[in-house]
Amino acid sequence: MSQLVPGLGLARGMLLTLRRFFEPKATIRYPEEPPEGSPKFRGRLQLLYDEYGTLKCETCFQCAQACPIECIDMGGIDTKNRYHIHWGPPETYGERRDESALRRSGRPVPDPAYEHFGPIDLAPVEAALAEYDYDPKNLLPILEATQQAYGYLPVAAIKHISNMSGAWYAMIYGTASYYGHLRFEKKGDREQAAAVAASRPPESSYRSALQAALMGGAPVEDTTQPPAANKARGSSKVRGSSKGRGRPPRAN
Amino acid sequence: MTVVGRAWNRLSLPGKLFFTLAPLLLVTTIAVIAILVIFGQLIVDFLAANLPIVRFVVAVTAVLLMSVPTAFLIIYMEMKVIALMNLRLGPDRVGPYGSLLSVVHGLKVLMKEDFTPTGVDSIVFTLAPVVVYLASVMSLLVIPFAPGLFGQDLNVGLLYFFAVGGLSVVGLLMAGWSSFNKYSLLGGLRSAAQIISYEIPLTLSVVGVLILAGTMSLNQIVLDQRGSFLDWFAFKQPLGLLIFFIAATAEANRTPFDLTEADSEIVAGFATEYSGMRFGFFFFAEYVNVFIMSALIVSLFFGGWTAPFDWPWPVHIELNPGGLGIGLLILLAVAPVVGTLVLAAPFWVARSSMPAWQALIIGFVLLNLLIGLGLFALAFLGWEWVVGLFWFLGKTYGFVFTFVWMRGTLPRVRIDQLMGFAWKWLLPASLLNLFVTAGAVVVLGR
Repeated sequence: MSQLVPGLGLARGMLLTLRRFFEPKATIRYPEEPPEGSPKFRGRLQLLYDEYGTLKCETCFQCAQACPIECIDMGGIDTKNRYHIHWGPPETYGERRDESALRRSGRPVPDPAYEHFGPIDLAPVEAALAEYDYDPKNLLPILEATQQAYGYLPVAAIKHISNMSGAWYAMIYGTASYYGHLRFEKKGDREQAAAVAASRPPESSYRSALQAALMGGAPVEDTTQPPAANKARGSSKVRGSSKGRGRPPRAN
Repeated sequence: MTVVGRAWNRLSLPGKLFFTLAPLLLVTTIAVIAILVIFGQLIVDFLAANLPIVRFVVAVTAVLLMSVPTAFLIIYMEMKVIALMNLRLGPDRVGPYGSLLSVVHGLKVLMKEDFTPTGVDSIVFTLAPVVVYLASVMSLLVIPFAPGLFGQDLNVGLLYFFAVGGLSVVGLLMAGWSSFNKYSLLGGLRSAAQIISYEIPLTLSVVGVLILAGTMSLNQIVLDQRGSFLDWFAFKQPLGLLIFFIAATAEANRTPFDLTEADSEIVAGFATEYSGMRFGFFFFAEYVNVFIMSALIVSLFFGGWTAPFDWPWPVHIELNPGGLGIGLLILLAVAPVVGTLVLAAPFWVARSSMPAWQALIIGFVLLNLLIGLGLFALAFLGWEWVVGLFWFLGKTYGFVFTFVWMRGTLPRVRIDQLMGFAWKWLLPASLLNLFVTAGAVVVLGR
């Protein structure tokens, strides 16, 4: 067409530049107008400390979940003060847990001979996973089958499920801790503790005996908390303040 | 040493300058006053007797003075418009919207070293920019800016225009030849070949207008197109307009015909060896040429300073400020203050975050704008030449914009295409235009 009519190409070119004349401009006057960043940019990542010098981070993983480019990976302690919950892409996480990376960052290097959790026979977990096609959507049946096999959910089994199904450990842990019928320790442990507590004479009997020996009066009713429990809580708090920074404390 | 000599030696340099210049000034002033008192009548009679010469000198001075800001304005336009078309912002640092950048360019060129290379023909080398610049400025002399506002109303105005405009080729050739540089010589020869080739269709395309108007005086040609915009020669000579526009582009060395100073091929062509203000003269001449060519197109084909239509509602304002008496003085004293306050008040009331002095500044600027607009409106109504200048400059800068727009769009043509186009297409077309116009005039009888 533009070959047929002489000057049409010229006219079209002129119209093009005229249109450009009125279009918004690409220039950014840098020092006065800061350029707009990427739409996914959220600013610098930083962990904040409270006025006591402890980390404010509660290890709730909400930031890692919301991160649009999945750049946050984090570790934390579970309810038993075990440092093993983490969130993040496996490849990144593994890379940052690499021995040389830890050494460079000044964090303690794990001892390879250290067995983190007691080894278990993984065959029942493997069977449960195979039955449900290694699909993390069937997490609840898998966990129930695992609990049926072991009587509880061993950490090693949850790790194995995470490795094989691709679901993050933190998600599996969250699922498992949500349901009341799933537990993380042997059923017998709790019963044994209850039996020991039942066989012991009650705390108040010691107190009344002490009272009687000291003053010879009548036994006093127990109202205060036992001091031993207070002490134990205090020590756990101290350990909790070092979460995510020091060497993971051994599972208790 | 005498007393005077010792006192003189104690003076610093400014002091010496002052005590030299002050007596000189005093003596000159007294002498001028004395001459005016004694020979005043004689001088006035002499000037009145030689009025054409006086008028010519005044016109040349005015045109010379006018050409510099015009060039500044067009250089700024070129930078800004092309930048906007390239999706850039262009100059935005010096002055409002960068409008003083071209002035800064001019000052920079003034301050640079004026270098004369070894082996040049120094007289010709020095004269070349003068010839080029003068040729441009002298052609401005016959252009009618407004009714009664022109340098000279020559009855051979158009002929003069082409003759003086053609002188610039001599300047370019002088520059190219005297530079002692092969590339400059090539640039000069190129420009000579190009301008001589395009001079022919340029002149021939105007002949149609001359036949229709019956005169070569540009002023008369403009007067012939008075009336509505349908009387413009653009509608009687569309082919002539097209040829004239193309040839004028080549004549002004503008894109797509800017081979003489093709920045990317031969480094500025004839101007390679020039530096400082001598280069500045070439540069200015180019932009003055753009203005002149636009002005000529407007004068010949678009009715010059005539308005495209009559204002349908004639307005007459009878103002007699003297009738106010003492009230005028009071008004002059009070009106600026009151106006500033009144105009500042809405801003101050509407935005509580604005300090009073900012609101006052805004009010002052607004008041000045209003007064300026009012004065312009009064002048527009009262003086014919203001109306004429308004329309003339408006149309002319429209065409200047078109030239700049073309520079922002079109690529450069090849030299053989350039020559082939001039001789194979433009020349026959302009001849055809001439014969058809002449035939039509003979058949229809004007």
